Amino acid sequence: MALSRREFVKKGSLSLSFALAGSNILLSPAEAYAKEVPFTVLNAGEVLTLESVCEILLSGATESGVAHFVDHQLGVDPNDSLLVLKYFSFPPPYTDFYRPVLAALKELSQTMFSKNIQSLNEQQGREFIEAIRDKNPPDWKAPPAPLAYLALRNDTVDVVYGTPEGFKKLGVPYMEHILPPEGWS
Amino acid sequence: MSKNEKVDVVIVGSGAASSVYAALLAEAGKSVVMLEKGTARKLDDLYSSQTWARRLKWATPHMMEESKDSIWYNFNAGHGYGGAAIHHYAVWPRYHPEDMKELSLYGKGLDWPFEYDVLRPYYDQIQSDVGMSGDAEKEIWRPAGDPYPLPPVLQSNHGTVLAKGFAALDQPTSPIPMAILSQPYKGRDACIWDGWCDAGCPTGALANPLVVFIPRALKAGAMMKPDCHVTRVMTDTKGERATGVEYFDSKGERHEQHADVVVLCAFTIENPRILLNSATDKHAKGLANSSGTVGKYIMSHPAVTAFGMFDEDMQNYIGATGGQLLTQHRFPKEEGAFGSQQWEIALALKPNDLLGIAMSRADLFGNDLHRFMKEGSRGMSSMVAVIEDLPQAENRIELSDKKDKYGMPLALAKHSWHDETRKLFHETAKEGLEIIKAAGAKEAWHSPPGGQHIMGGTIMGHDPTNSVTNENAQCHDVPNLVMGGGGVFPTSSCVNSTYTIHAMAMKSAHHLTENWATIVK
Repeated sequence: MALSRREFVKKGSLSLSFALAGSNILLSPAEAYAKEVPFTVLNAGEVLTLESVCEILLSGATESGVAHFVDHQLGVDPNDSLLVLKYFSFPPPYTDFYRPVLAALKELSQTMFSKNIQSLNEQQGREFIEAIRDKNPPDWKAPPAPLAYLALRNDTVDVVYGTPEGFKKLGVPYMEHILPPEGWS
Repeated sequence: MSKNEKVDVVIVGSGAASSVYAALLAEAGKSVVMLEKGTARKLDDLYSSQTWARRLKWATPHMMEESKDSIWYNFNAGHGYGGAAIHHYAVWPRYHPEDMKELSLYGKGLDWPFEYDVLRPYYDQIQSDVGMSGDAEKEIWRPAGDPYPLPPVLQSNHGTVLAKGFAALDQPTSPIPMAILSQPYKGRDACIWDGWCDAGCPTGALANPLVVFIPRALKAGAMMKPDCHVTRVMTDTKGERATGVEYFDSKGERHEQHADVVVLCAFTIENPRILLNSATDKHAKGLANSSGTVGKYIMSHPAVTAFGMFDEDMQNYIGATGGQLLTQHRFPKEEGAFGSQQWEIALALKPNDLLGIAMSRADLFGNDLHRFMKEGSRGMSSMVAVIEDLPQAENRIELSDKKDKYGMPLALAKHSWHDETRKLFHETAKEGLEIIKAAGAKEAWHSPPGGQHIMGGTIMGHDPTNSVTNENAQCHDVPNLVMGGGGVFPTSSCVNSTYTIHAMAMKSAHHLTENWATIVK
């Protein structure tokens, strides 16, 4: 499917190929979220945990499609991956990072507050993130918590501010000059 | 197993050094094949996005690391056609004469097997070939060389404001020398200063390998193949000559590419990895390693980024990723902790990714991060210092006991800064904050240490007992085996390595063509 320049800018530079209703279409993660595109790697519980943590990290993460972005990228060849985790020398497959991290985060919320992450109030959300930001919390059974903080925070910033829509929110020009070719994912 | 038709030259890699070798050797009439481990790529595959830019980096591990101070492999290496230079920022200062005589002048580091004047004509030729922008007269620290063919790169308010900070501390600045076109040049368009250099420049304004030397190589008849994972350099029965390379394609099928000359430009980490993996009964310690030097003297420039927050619109979103201005005021190596240092000033900023606005304050989240992003997208400044990493034999690449899917041992890096380097890093970080404050920032902070430009591991030298190659990058032990890239540098200076990689490759390629009969006999 060839896109015009206008369509590309409208879709955002994070347009990915999602399977929907039997065909592959290019959608931004935000559009994939709005259309409730089925997840292919993460299960419902993992999606909820990921969205809840990323929403504390930066409000708007869920609607920007952070879970669809991560889920999509966990399904591609790691060398083609767009996940920032690539920079942090964590060896693929990246599900070996996200799965235990999401499970550990879910457990940590219960340990700290006897609540699911999505039920934390603002103060609790802050304490929850601060508990993983600089060191592993007690009994953490996953890749290093500060790495989890950095990776999820970057994933969130990618979808909230790393797109033409994100630049627009910040009031700076995107200045793109290249179109994605057909079948580019 | 397939055995390809023998060629004159097989080049492993398709980055900065490879592309120069391929162009010059093919133009000299040699049959040339380039084998790239990563994927095929064209200029219009380079999308304007920091997120998409990550496709230009490897995920598959080729290296393990047991370093006190990381060399930052994943950030520096490149995946696919163009190699690491596909995502480089095109900041192209020259090495200084004293960088090449460090041991003789200061009793530290190592000497190169030639002096600056030998490399100068190649620097001059390369800058003419690619179209460099700058102002040679304002670079008062610049070694002898031809003026730049093009005027300086864009300067926005970002550069103007930071320059005041340097001036307040009596540090002169100059336009930064860049392999980016400030004006149309030899059929290529000028830069539009959109700041997407890190994502790979698709317009051809930045001289990545896909823009200048690979097209020249292909036009002259060179071939370029993707997905070729080279594991070994093959030698003759006496072990005196390279006969070609062994590689595996993405389906796991083994191939042999025979050639009269083998040029390894597989990146600083991969070159020693391949040599060490090419051990035979004639080369028990690894090929070209009779000195025991293969893998040693790995260097990676320590880098620190200094940030400021200003009330005015800095226009920080336009320009080039590598900056607008340069100072090498603190290049003299004995003014404090030993080593040279430079500042690249006013880097174009994007919101996300490692060098983006958000990452500069990795501690912030929630509404604090939203506020910071809004303020920083107009008011933040950025400048990065590059610091010399002194060569130390114990900083090295070995083979790991872990293997890749082809059964080839991964590289294992061990690297730590010299005490002098560590002191210089801290002096530099402190200096950065002083400069930012002197420029009028209401807030100043700096990054943790990073690493740029990996060098060493197959160093040049006169003496075959303590170096891997001669002054033309030919291995002492195997003269038709040539090492391309920053791996041959005996010292790191503080300057970005890609320009010198080009110049060194051109010097070596000229030597090969001028002495072809002797080398291949």
